[in-house]
Amino acid sequence: MIRVEHLYKSFQGQKVLEDINLEVKKGELLVVLGESGTGKSVLLKHLAGLLKPDRGSVRIDGKDITGMPERELLRVRKDIGYLFQEGALYDFMNVFENIAFPLREHTALDGKAIRGKVQDILKLIGLQGIEEKYPAELSGGMKKRVALARAVILGSKILFCDEPTSGLDPLRSRDISELIRGVAGKLHCTTVVTSHDISNSFRIADRIALLQDGRVVAIGTPSEIRASRNVFVQEFIA
Amino acid sequence: MIKAVVDAGFGYTMWMGRALCFLGEVAGHVFRGRIRWPQVFQQTYEQGVQSISIIILTAFASGAVLALQGYVAMARFGAKEYISHLVGLSLVRELGPVFTALIFSGKAGARITAELGTMNVNDQVLATRTMGVDPVEYLIVPRMVACFFALPILVLVAELVGIAGGYFVGVLEAGIPGPFYISQTIKAIQYVDFFAGFIKVFFFAIIIGWTCCYQGYSTSGGSMGVGKFTTRAVAFSYIFVILSNTMLTKIILTLWG
Repeated sequence: MIRVEHLYKSFQGQKVLEDINLEVKKGELLVVLGESGTGKSVLLKHLAGLLKPDRGSVRIDGKDITGMPERELLRVRKDIGYLFQEGALYDFMNVFENIAFPLREHTALDGKAIRGKVQDILKLIGLQGIEEKYPAELSGGMKKRVALARAVILGSKILFCDEPTSGLDPLRSRDISELIRGVAGKLHCTTVVTSHDISNSFRIADRIALLQDGRVVAIGTPSEIRASRNVFVQEFIA
Repeated sequence: MIKAVVDAGFGYTMWMGRALCFLGEVAGHVFRGRIRWPQVFQQTYEQGVQSISIIILTAFASGAVLALQGYVAMARFGAKEYISHLVGLSLVRELGPVFTALIFSGKAGARITAELGTMNVNDQVLATRTMGVDPVEYLIVPRMVACFFALPILVLVAELVGIAGGYFVGVLEAGIPGPFYISQTIKAIQYVDFFAGFIKVFFFAIIIGWTCCYQGYSTSGGSMGVGKFTTRAVAFSYIFVILSNTMLTKIILTLWG
């Protein structure tokens, strides 16, 4: 489904990603773990075609997206949901308008059908009755839930989540992690989550990739990662 | 020293190149008809409403001050009846378009940059791309096209209000009969005078829209960045409006007199 081969990226001479090789299978949930500043978000942006690599390729369903013009990438991204760290909800739109935005842009549904779909997704994320609220009136956890709803409202085949638990208390972190797992399972999404939240990552991941200084130092199922003899891996998950 | 100058020159050239590419991208959308009219109307309304009160105040005061100063100067030559000519022609040919454009930069232009800049630093622009929507088409084109509608309307309002300001001073202070003042104003302003000033407004609209949208779209550096880029957008708009006005005035005077 998603294949990353020999991906390199530098910013102003500073290497951020170095020879990244990854494969995410259809329907799988991969968590990319690593310390802050190791290139997790940069990797995720490459997967969504938001950044161009210096070298290497990112293939989605066999198509190399690294050389695609932006217009074509916009079409590819209709099948991708992207959850930003802070939600990135439009602050001039209320919850309903935010979630309805992709439907209005990419479908021919009428107002009634859109309202129905928005209510269904709000029910799925457990936030009914907040349609008229604006992002400034929501808590951090609610913003992330609404952003998740907006990311998957089109029935995305792929879901990318950038640090979904950052800034949340342990309970909210567990809730949002399980919600991502649940939504991804229900929609059969291929999901990549970046995180430095070890316990929740091990709880929801099918596989985990561990990044250190822009390189993948370990990849495998949670039990394989726990059993790894790599010193950094053991220090990180300890 | 030489290296610093070369680096600065290279930096400005790159910046200008990027700004021109940005304008080209916007123009490409407009010429292909990728204009979201509901957003254009909403932006035109917001930009217009936001600027109208200060523009009316400034225009009225400008017209009144022109008439007061004109009265003092022209009374010396016994030509106070021609205050209306001075006020009308000054406002229509020069002051109306330029003053309005400068105020518009400070109000609507600053708002555009701050809005886009905040969206940029909060990843909302990036989020637009991830949802398969072109942010230039959705966020930039409506704002720039709206400038093209809002500014000319505001200039027309400013010119009428400015003339009214001059009228009050002319009638109440200089004792010129009202109907005479109005007939003299109509007589003084030819079509060529009106269009010589009004045609510049469309150039100013492009300059302000381009400068403010580009600065907002390239904003980085969090909330401090928003402040920095917004200030820069207003300063650049002022400079570009004043410089382009000088050039356009010379061209228009050469062509039309």
